[in-house]
Order: sequence, then C-alpha cells, then structure tokens
Amino acid sequence: MYSKPLPPAPTRKSQYGVDPSLVQKRGAELSNITHVPLSELIPDQPSVIYPSARGLAAVRSETEAALAKVDMSMISEGKTVNILASHHGFTFLGGEPYAEMLRTIKDVVAQRTKAKEVRLRAGLGMRFRETEEYIKAFKLDEYFNGKAQGMAPIDAGIPIETSLGTLYGLKRAYDADFIIHAHNSDVREVHFHRQVDRAVKPFGMSYARCETRSTYHMNLGPRAANFVARAIFESPFVQSKFAFAAFMIMSPAGAVTVDADNDLYAINDRTTVGGMKNYGKIIHLFGAVDDCIVILDFPCPVPYVFASGVIYANMVGANIDLFDLDNPLPPYTWYTETYYREGGQPLIPDIPPVNPAIKAVVHNYAWVGYPAVFFAEHTPTIVVGQEQAELFNRDPMNLNYMKHALLADNLDAAMAFAYRTTGTDKVMIFDGASGGLNVSHSLADLLRRVAPGVNEKVDKVLLPKWLAQRDIDVQLLDQVA
Amino acid sequence: MKTVKVQAKVNQELCTGCRTCERVCPVYAAELVKEDKGFHVEIDPSLCVGCWNCEQRCPEHAIAMVACEPFDISTDVSLYDYGQIKELCRKARFHPKQLVCYCTATRAEELAAAILGGAASPEALVRATGVGSGCGIECNQTILRFLEAAGVAWERKKGSYQWMGRTMTNWEVPAEVKQKYAGFRFDSDREIMDRIVQAPVEP
Ligand code: SF4
Ligand code: SF4
Repeated sequence: MYSKPLPPAPTRKSQYGVDPSLVQKRGAELSNITHVPLSELIPDQPSVIYPSARGLAAVRSETEAALAKVDMSMISEGKTVNILASHHGFTFLGGEPYAEMLRTIKDVVAQRTKAKEVRLRAGLGMRFRETEEYIKAFKLDEYFNGKAQGMAPIDAGIPIETSLGTLYGLKRAYDADFIIHAHNSDVREVHFHRQVDRAVKPFGMSYARCETRSTYHMNLGPRAANFVARAIFESPFVQSKFAFAAFMIMSPAGAVTVDADNDLYAINDRTTVGGMKNYGKIIHLFGAVDDCIVILDFPCPVPYVFASGVIYANMVGANIDLFDLDNPLPPYTWYTETYYREGGQPLIPDIPPVNPAIKAVVHNYAWVGYPAVFFAEHTPTIVVGQEQAELFNRDPMNLNYMKHALLADNLDAAMAFAYRTTGTDKVMIFDGASGGLNVSHSLADLLRRVAPGVNEKVDKVLLPKWLAQRDIDVQLLDQVA
Repeated sequence: MKTVKVQAKVNQELCTGCRTCERVCPVYAAELVKEDKGFHVEIDPSLCVGCWNCEQRCPEHAIAMVACEPFDISTDVSLYDYGQIKELCRKARFHPKQLVCYCTATRAEELAAAILGGAASPEALVRATGVGSGCGIECNQTILRFLEAAGVAWERKKGSYQWMGRTMTNWEVPAEVKQKYAGFRFDSDREIMDRIVQAPVEP
C-alpha cells in the first residue's frame, strides 16, 4: 500500500514564470505517484521548527534567542544598518520563514540599538526584479518603512581592495555604517561552492557586481573560485562594516533553527558540518537512483527546482560525490559547461558526464532567468505548454533552450512520451513538497531498499573524508544540529 | 550568435529621467536627451541588443521589450586567420572552441575574430558577437580578458555602471595567497584550466 503524494509547493505569480492558471496539472496529481517521508529514508534527520505546529512564531522566537547572544554594541546611536538578504531564502517553504527572520532581525536591532535606520537590501541571482517581487509579496517595504530594496549585479558598484586585487561590490549593499549578513545554510549550489565557505558566498555573489561574479565563474577555477567571497569578506572595507550574521539553518525537511554570531567563520564551520551531515545522505541517495524520469515542477529556474531540499542541479551531478574536493569538476558547473565543444565532445577526456540516470526531463513548470540550455542539450527534455516554450524563446538567457527541447500540449502527453521512449517507470518530482519526496511507486521501492546502505556509507566513510578535506574537527559533528 | 527578437521601448509618460537605463546598458544604446522644457529617453535601435537590462532596472517600469524584426548578431570566424585567432585565445587563456557565453552559445574563437575585425571596446564586442547580451553577468571578465590580451585600451563611458574593470585570474593569484589558503586548491584548478587552453583545436 502506497501513501498519497504530498502537496507540491504552490505555483507563484511572477514575471519569470508562466501564469499559474496555465499550470493545469502538477506532477503529484499523476497516477502512480506516492511520497516517501524523509524520516523513513534518513532516520537521523534533525527535528524542524518550520513547518511545525508553532508556525512562524517558532522562527521569531528562535531568531530572538539566537540574537540574544550577539554583540550589537558597535551599532551606536545614529548609525545606519543594512540587513543584507538574498533571494534564495525566499524560495524555501513558501518564503515566509525567511521573511519572518528578516523582520525579527529588524525588530531586535531597532530595540537593542539606537540605530537611525535599519534597511533591507536583498540581492539576487540573475532575475533582476526577483527580490522586488518577494519584498512586495511579503510586504517587507512597509515593514522596513519604505527602506527595503532589491539590488542587481548591474546596479552601481563600488571597488573593494582585497587580497585578490580590486573586486567590485554593490554600492547599495554597503551604503550603511554597518551590515548584517542574513542568510541560510541550505546546501543548494554544492556543485558551485562544494561546501567550502558556504556561509561566506553571498559576499562574492548576491552582494557583488557582475565583474566579481564573473571572476567566480570564469577566472579562478571550479574550487578556487570560492576564495572570491572570502577575499571580499576579509577586506578592510567589509570588515569595517560587518556587525554580525544570522542564518536560517536548513535541513532537507525544513528549517531547523536560527544561528547568529559576530564571527562569520564560526557559523561557516557549523553550517559546513551541518550541511554535509543533513544533505550528504539525501544527495547520495539521489546518486543511487539507476534510472528515472525527472519532473520539474517548482517556481524557480530549471536547476533550482527542489525535491526534499535538494535542487535539480545536484541530481544532474549526483553521479559523482559533489562533496569530495578531490573531484575537481562536477558534471554541471559553469566551468564544466564551457569545456564542451559545439558538437558536445568534451575538450579534455576527464570531464564527468551529466548523471546518466536521468533518462528524460519533463519540464512541467520552471522559470526562465537562468541560462538553462546545458540541461536541455545533455538530457532529453519535454516542455509542457506552448506558453512556457514562448517564455523561454523570449528570455535572453534561454534563446536556444527550445532548440533542444520537445514540446508537449500537456503533462499527460509529456509523460506518455517519456515513459515510452525511456522504458523506465521511475519518476522523481522536483516540486518542493515538504517533508518527503514525491516519486513513482517503483522509485519509492528503490529508495527504501538502498537508503540504509547509503546512510551507512555517508556516516562511516564519506563524512570523515569530507571533514578532513576541509580541515574541520570531527567533534563538531556532535555539536551541530 | 544572438538573435535579437525584442528591443527596448520607453513610455515617456512614466519616465522621470533618472538615467538608470543609460547607466545599465552594456552597449550605451539608451540616452537621456535634454530638451528646452524637459527630457526624453532615446533608445537607438541600431545599437540595442535586446538584453532587458534597462527593462529590468527602470524604477518606474517605464520600459517594455517589444517585438522587432528579428536580426542576428555574430562574427564570421572563417573571415579571419585562424592562427591569429588561436594565438589570441590562448593569450587570453581560453581554448578557441571553449564556450564563453552561456546565453548566446558564443565560443572564444568568435570573440578573437571580432577583435581582429576591429571591435575595440567591451560594447563593440557585445555588438559584434552578442556576448554580454543575455544574463549580462558571467561573460563580463571574459570580454575584458580578451581585450587586454589583444592590447586594446578602452574607456568606460562617463556615468555608466558597466565595465568597471578586469579582475584577477588564477594565473595571477599571489603565491602568498595560494600558500595561506591552500584549501582552495588554486594550483590544481589552474592545472585543469591550462589543459583546457592547450587542448587540440580539433577533437
Ligand atoms: S530608467 Fe526609466 S525612469 Fe529612468 S530614465 Fe530610463 S526610462 Fe526614464
Ligand atoms: S535592452 Fe539592453 S541593449 Fe537595449 S537599450 Fe536596454 S539595456 Fe541597452
């Protein structure tokens, strides 16, 4: 007997996706779909504060408790403060928990200091109005008294002198006396950051100009790139403004707690360990899937759609150990993408292929605003709905996406084609369902069968290796949720 | 290659003259024109590469992207000496067949060809190849590395937010940084990038 699927994360009205009314059927409504609770696959998952019966009040009280331990004395009377946020946080659990953490930080700072102004500055990925949409949706502009703004990597910049020479930050991020780094610990782009300085990354990304972000993705190499954020964070300029950091600590099942510290590197160590511990198993479990059809069904661009807290880009690279720093190139990073010739042959033989277990991708609902042609080039892709195809055809980052993808009228037609051409009945849905994974019956059986072995391997073999590679004390494992 | 299907159009009624569009445009196609009584923003359709930057940043939502007669932007690599193309790519530390723009599928050889054809500034390279007209982020340094490798001196338009400057590559990271932060594996990554640059042109 298989349980019912979990409700997928709702669609979201956005200029970057088709109108929700056009998403006529979700993957979870297909026949033969069930859900596997995360707790069944990975029994030692930490308990979560959200979603929980305590609702958003839990986020507020955990944030207040975490901030109680933080020194705010540097924010003296009359000073201005920018709370720096990023779009990622708003993609978790509907976005409200992250918004509530931001509101709480504002309230506590206003209460404990005599700051003249506490503002919100929300950076983003490649969709230049995305955080404006979140600010509006969560009424953050009102909450911040008209002082909440999105910021894009093409906005006015400011040179920052670093140990890597001059890099460029966003002027608006740093236009206050002090900054508070308000982020999250979700592993998310492990293919890029490799769980190295995960907590520092926004200094080289969502708070940075395009020159800096291009340095990360083009100039330094797949692992060395992670030094960009550290170079900026350690610059005298940023150090003179940094007050503290507050992080929503995530697990595949939801928000675990809030961590805050004046020492970003202390949070960095904790989130590095916690991320490997809580996400290592689920990502490796994805790597144990032998074949499947993937359904993209979440309000985010193609690589960022979630299944049990893991993004599709991680599934694309799950055929290698993404946490193992001895693997220089994941199957998908922006370095790897550039290393293929036009005909698809790699420039050097040691480029790892895209996860061959993904036999087809049914793109039921995913946004534009991220260059996604690589995914359609490397895996047979069927896009549902003419309107969605048109959206991609207009998007300056995806002009070639539909050249490599097929078009189906509706989800049922796309699935029928995918079943017939791949010969697999295993289906994995990236739909942001909370607390578990929506999959086909056959994939549920496989996951249940292989999970104990994967868990044991991660605990006994991989975690100690990952920690040693990062010079992190294994004792921290027991101290971190 | 970039096929331009849409271009920017300003609703002058909504425009407050803040100049944001002018400042974020990678090819300087948007310009605020002062008049005796007021101002208006002009978008030069012969320059606009349909990147959406201005549409996405105009604080008044005064810019729309409207369909235009589609046209292609690319440089024909076969018109230039491939030996020179190869040399310039390797000097900029790219493989000639390496992808340099995810959005337009432009390869390094095309940037080199465009420079050999006379493109002598970042905006000219965008106009000649379409690079930098998609996400507007990731190929930024590639463009500047190519211009530097070709010995091209260029100047930023006054007031523009774009093209702030070239930044460091792996080949230039100071030894003391690499030593102090060995965990970032600078040398091992550089070894891969060197092998890419030196890989044969034909498979
Ligand atoms: S960004 Fe918008 S409001 Fe500002 S000058 Fe351009 S069109 Fe006018
Ligand atoms: S769409 Fe891009 S190229 Fe065209 S005017 Fe706007 S910023 Fe300039």
